[in-house]
Amino acid sequence: MISPFINIANLTKTYKKGKTSITPLENLSLEVPKGEFLALMGPSGSGKTTLLNLIAGIDSPSDGVLEIDGNDIRGLTRARLTKWRSSHVGYIFQLYHLIPILTAYENVELPLLLDNMSKRERKNRIDAALDLVGLSDRAHHRPTELSGGQEQRVAIARAIVHDPGLLVADEPTGDLDRESADSILNLLDSLANDHGKTIVMVTHDPKAASAAHRTLHLEKGVLIKSES
Amino acid sequence: MLPFTYAVRNLFRDPARLLQTVGGAALVVFLLMAATALNEGMSGVLSASGSPKNVILMGKGSEESIERSEVHLEVESIAATSVRGIKSVFGQSAVSGEINYMAPIKTASGSVEQSILRGVREESLLVHETVRLLEGRFPSPGEVMVGSLAHRNLGVKEDDLAIGKEIFFGDIPFKIAGRFTAPGTVLESEIWFDRNDLATVTQRSSLSSVILRMDDAEFDDVQIFTLQRNDLELAAIREDTYYDKLSAFYAPIQTMTWLTAGLVAAGAVFGGLNTLYAAFASRIKELATLQSIGFSRVAIFISLVQESLLATLTGTLLALLLSLVILDGRTVPFSIGTFRLVLSPLVIFTGLFVGILLGTLGILPPAWRTLAPSLPKALRST
Ligand SMILES: Nc1ncnc2c1ncn2[C@@H]1O[C@H](COP(=O)(O)OP(=O)(O)OP(=O)(O)O)[C@@H](O)[C@H]1O
Ligand SMILES: [Mg+2]
Repeated sequence: MISPFINIANLTKTYKKGKTSITPLENLSLEVPKGEFLALMGPSGSGKTTLLNLIAGIDSPSDGVLEIDGNDIRGLTRARLTKWRSSHVGYIFQLYHLIPILTAYENVELPLLLDNMSKRERKNRIDAALDLVGLSDRAHHRPTELSGGQEQRVAIARAIVHDPGLLVADEPTGDLDRESADSILNLLDSLANDHGKTIVMVTHDPKAASAAHRTLHLEKGVLIKSES
Repeated sequence: MLPFTYAVRNLFRDPARLLQTVGGAALVVFLLMAATALNEGMSGVLSASGSPKNVILMGKGSEESIERSEVHLEVESIAATSVRGIKSVFGQSAVSGEINYMAPIKTASGSVEQSILRGVREESLLVHETVRLLEGRFPSPGEVMVGSLAHRNLGVKEDDLAIGKEIFFGDIPFKIAGRFTAPGTVLESEIWFDRNDLATVTQRSSLSSVILRMDDAEFDDVQIFTLQRNDLELAAIREDTYYDKLSAFYAPIQTMTWLTAGLVAAGAVFGGLNTLYAAFASRIKELATLQSIGFSRVAIFISLVQESLLATLTGTLLALLLSLVILDGRTVPFSIGTFRLVLSPLVIFTGLFVGILLGTLGILPPAWRTLAPSLPKALRST
């Protein structure tokens, strides 16, 4: 049996602050096969962002197994995690988090600057990514000159330009109108189906979740229900 | 590595902040350069004024104040014949009995200011080798010659001390017959009288000091002379030592200069730090995003250093230009002379050093506060 792309077993995350400690995730187990588009739902404070951050190597677990694409990322130092992220993960935020002083093109270029890549090759990749999200004509606009939906599409281009296997998205449509949201969901769907990306998306919106292959519900740090 | 343009564009993100940072850096750098130039100028003029070849004879017990010292008129000739190895030019010993005096002097324009006066004879030039006549002649009775910077200490226009003009000691007029220079020394700020004239108007019958210029004599020879001629009640001090002691007297002023410049600069630095704190704090999420993409904290820190160095070095450049216009060549009078401010290598080095220090050390605290929080926390912050 081939191992799943994301392999999580008995994962626990505890935040300590002084004498008090919070455990947003406890003994969580989850397997996600390669190319799956998974939606995570749950009430506020249930640990969705925490789980996403662990999967993306933004945060480190307190206990349990955490393997992505066969790599055990549990024991990595902060520096190694940073390097790992640069080639394996694309992160999509609810509020896009584009760099305001950079153009769309330059924002998308950022992950490529971490590789030794010629300017020519960078340009090819950026053009392809912007083309995929349908924003070739907005390459030299600053974020303030784009609509929310367009900003999120630039953010998606930035998340995929270096061709990571894993995409994580934290409420990517949370700030968008229905139409823009649908186009973002279509885009994610095609990234999973046509480009083989494994996607984990947090959402509050059942309609958004229905675009995914599978939806999981988190409550108080525990997965309570799964459906196909 | 983040591209250099990222640092540059961040700089222009908030023009008001940029102005504040550049202006603040310029102020700090300028102040510390000015303090360095002031202290260097003052120390420089004092140390250049004394020659190790000159020995000053003063009245025993008044070594601290040459104006209060009294030396018998005859000491001049006695010393010239008793001490061997004094420099001699055409049979004339380089020995100068002088009257040093401080008194208010009135100029043609009517202003009255405390001045440093010296009563001399033409032979005095043998011991003061830096003195050169610029124009006119050595003063005869009823005349004076003025140092080229004397107008600074008098607080008058250079023109008021031109040859032919008069100055007044009390009501007594003296005609300016010559102008002299003694580059880099306090002598340049003095007014030199015919010795008998000054003795008359000050009602003195004694000298203030006798200066000997040594050829192969040693200081000890002069010292021995003062001991042998105990009856003359003399104290000998090397001229350079005399000015070193004066320097020590002015040391507290130099400390004050530093303290004042330092305090104002510290205020500006804290103001600047506050601005940076605010600027970086507003970018905490953005910097966290860069980390989530895979940029290391070191790479981001380097970019922040580039940004702040650009600002502080621009400020430094501004300060250099400013000091070139305002400081360089400016003469500053103080109680016993006038010194010139110079953009010496030390002053320029101080400016550059401070500028670089501001750009690097100065951003450590705000950068630390921005980059220290854990990544999930930084991403969560609003
Ligand atoms: N760095 C931290 N330190 C302490 N507690 C934290 C930290 N990060 C998250 N928590 C806590 O962990 C719990 C889960 O937070 P998390 O952000 O994962 O919830 P969420 O499901 O994403 O909520 P929302 O839907 O509101 O975004 C919350 O109680 C939160 O306060
Ligand atoms: Mg959340």
